[in-house]
Amino acid sequence: MSRTQLVARIGRNWVVLFLFLLCVIFSFTGRGFLSLKTLNNILLTSSPALLLAAGETFVIITGGIDLSVGFVRGLISVISAIVIRDLYALGYSPYFAIFCGIVVGVLLGLLPGLVNGILVARFRVPPFIATLGMYGIANGLALRYSKGFPITFLPDEVGEIGNGFFFYLLPGRLFTVFEKPLGLTEAEARNLVGIVPYATVIAFALLFVFGFVLSKTQFGQHIYAIGGNIDAARRAGIPVEKHLIRVYVISSLFAAFSGVLSTLIFSIGTHTQFAASLELFAIAAVVIGGASLMGGKGSILGTALGVFVLSVLEVGFLMSGILPFYRYIAVGTILVFAVVIDQLFPEIVYD
Amino acid sequence: MRKILVALVLVTLVVGILVGGVFAEGKKPKIAWCPAISDPFYYMIGKGIADKCKELGLELFVAEYPKAWGPEVQVPILEAVAARGDIDVIITGPTSKDALIAPLKRIHDMGIEIITVDTYIGDGDYSKPSEYSFPLTFIGTDNFQGGVEIAHRLAEMIGKKGKVFVETTNPDVSSVVERVEGFKKGMSEYPDIEIVGVEYCLDIQEKAQQQVAAALAAHPDIVGIFGTNLYSAQGAYQAVVNAGLAGVVKIASWDATEDLIKALREGKVDLVLAQKPYEIGTLAVEAAYQYFVEGKEIPKRMVPGFFFFTRDNVDDPEAQQYIYRAD
Repeated sequence: MSRTQLVARIGRNWVVLFLFLLCVIFSFTGRGFLSLKTLNNILLTSSPALLLAAGETFVIITGGIDLSVGFVRGLISVISAIVIRDLYALGYSPYFAIFCGIVVGVLLGLLPGLVNGILVARFRVPPFIATLGMYGIANGLALRYSKGFPITFLPDEVGEIGNGFFFYLLPGRLFTVFEKPLGLTEAEARNLVGIVPYATVIAFALLFVFGFVLSKTQFGQHIYAIGGNIDAARRAGIPVEKHLIRVYVISSLFAAFSGVLSTLIFSIGTHTQFAASLELFAIAAVVIGGASLMGGKGSILGTALGVFVLSVLEVGFLMSGILPFYRYIAVGTILVFAVVIDQLFPEIVYD
Repeated sequence: MRKILVALVLVTLVVGILVGGVFAEGKKPKIAWCPAISDPFYYMIGKGIADKCKELGLELFVAEYPKAWGPEVQVPILEAVAARGDIDVIITGPTSKDALIAPLKRIHDMGIEIITVDTYIGDGDYSKPSEYSFPLTFIGTDNFQGGVEIAHRLAEMIGKKGKVFVETTNPDVSSVVERVEGFKKGMSEYPDIEIVGVEYCLDIQEKAQQQVAAALAAHPDIVGIFGTNLYSAQGAYQAVVNAGLAGVVKIASWDATEDLIKALREGKVDLVLAQKPYEIGTLAVEAAYQYFVEGKEIPKRMVPGFFFFTRDNVDDPEAQQYIYRAD
C-alpha cells in the first residue's frame, strides 16, 4: 500500500479514529468515564437515535432529505403508548398490550413514509418540502392525541423491557442473567452494572439487517445508483419512482421503530418537543458518518459511528465537568469538519 | 322650534352619555384566552379561566393552543383575536419579554385590556409607568422563590449534606433559569451540600436520562437531584431507577403532571412542586370582572403560591385539585 493510499484510507475512516481519540481523552478528563456503566449508559440512551439516523441514511443516500422523522417518532410513541395503556386498562395482559402497541405503532409508521414517497417520486415535490409538510402534520397529530401531555399509566413491564439488560454485574460479588438482583443494600445498588441493554440489541439487529440490505443486495445498490445519478439510474432500467417510495417508507418505518423503542425506554408515550430538533441530530450523525447530502454516499455503519460520536461528546463533556455550551460549539465544528474531510480525501484516491 | 330640537338632541346626548357611562361601568366583559403553547400547564390555566367565566356568566373566546413557543406564532393569533372587534380583555402568556411589547401595545390601543399570565413583558413590573406597564396585571408563579423552597425541602430530605445535581431544560428560558438560580441560592445556606453540576436536556427526555446516568457514574455518591420540569425529572428518575438507586437518591421535581404524581406514589420521585395554573386562570378572570363590572383597582402583580406533593399528602382529597389533568 502506497503512502497516499494509506493517508486516504485513514482519511475515509477518520470517524473511527476520532471516536477512539475522544474515548481516550475523556477517559483521562472524565471522572468514571472509562467504565462499564458509562458504556452501557451510552448504548442504552443512544438506541432511539441510532434507529432514527439509520432511516435517515437511506433517504440521504438517494440525495433526498427527510425532515419528518423526529415528529413521526413522537407521533408513533404517543400512539403505541395509547394502545398499550388502553388495552392494559381493559384487562389484557401487559405483554399482549405491549405487543399490540408495537405492532400498531410500526404499521402506522409506514403511512407517513408512503405519503412522503409518493409526493417526492410521483408529484415531484422537493423532498425538503414534502417532508416539511409531514413534519407539521405528524406533530399536530401527536399533540392532538396526547393533548400536550405524555401518555402515562402504562404497565410496569413497559419500562422493565425498555430498561432491561441481559446481564447484571456486582463486581466481585454477583453475576446474573436476565434477572435484576433484588434486595441489595444501598452501597451494592450503587455498584450494580447492567450490561448489554435489550434496547441496544434490538436496535443493532435492525441496523444489521437493513445495513446488509443496503450494502449487499441489489435493492441497496439501486439506492446508491439513484443518489449517484438519477438519470443514469433511470436509463439503466431501475424503477426509480417505486424505489424512492420504498426508501421514504423505510425512513419513516425506522422513525416508528425509534418511537416504539422510546416508549419502552421512557415508559411513557411522548410527543417530540419542538426544541428537540431530533431530525437535525439524525442528519448530523449521518453526515459525520460519511454521507453526502448530494447523495450516492453513506453507510449504516458510518451513521452508527456518527451517532456514537455525538453521544460520547455529550456524556464525555458532562463527565469532564465542561460547561454544556462548549458542547454545542464542538458538535457544530465537528459537523463542518466531517464534510471538509470528506471533500478532501476522495481526490487523493483518484490521484 | 329649532331651538327646542337642538335642546332635545343635547339633552338626549347628555342623558345617553351618562346612562351609557353607567352601563359601561357595569358591562360584563367578553374575554379572550390566547394560550402561549399547547402544554399541560396552559390547559390548566385555560380550565381555570373557563370555569370562572361560567361561574360569573362571562362570555369566553378561546384561541388556538399554538404548538410552537414564540412571537412568530403568537402575534398573528393575537392580532386575529383583536380584529374580531367584540373582545374586551385578552388573557395571554407572552412568549417573549421584548418582542411582545409592541404588538400587545397596539392591541391595548384598540381599547382591549391585556392580562398576562405565567410570563410577562418587560421586567414584569407594571406598577411604575413604562412602555410596557399598560397591562392590567401579571399573574404568575415566582420561579426563583419556588427554586429556593425546593432547595430547603430537598436539603431536609438528604439530611443537609452530600452532593446534589440539577437537570434542567434550556439555558435561555427565563422561568427554568430562575428555578435553578433560586435552587442555588437556597442550597448556599447549607455548607455541607455541594451542587456538582447543572445540565441542559433541551426538553429531550433521553438526553436527561443520559446526562443523569453520566452524572451518577462520575459522582457515585450523589444523594439528591432537582429536575426543573417534567422531562428533566422523568429522565432523571429513569436514570436513577436504572442505576438501582430509586429511593436512595432523592429527586425533587417541578410541575404536578399525572406521570410525576404516579412516580411519587411509586417512590421514584420524592417531592413535586405544583404551581397553581388553575388558580392563575381563575384569578385572571376575577381581575377582569372586578375591573369592568365593579370598577375596582387591580393589583399589578398577583402571585399564586405553591403546593408541595410528598408521599404523605399525595392521596389527600384536597391535594387532588393541584394535579394537572388534560380533561
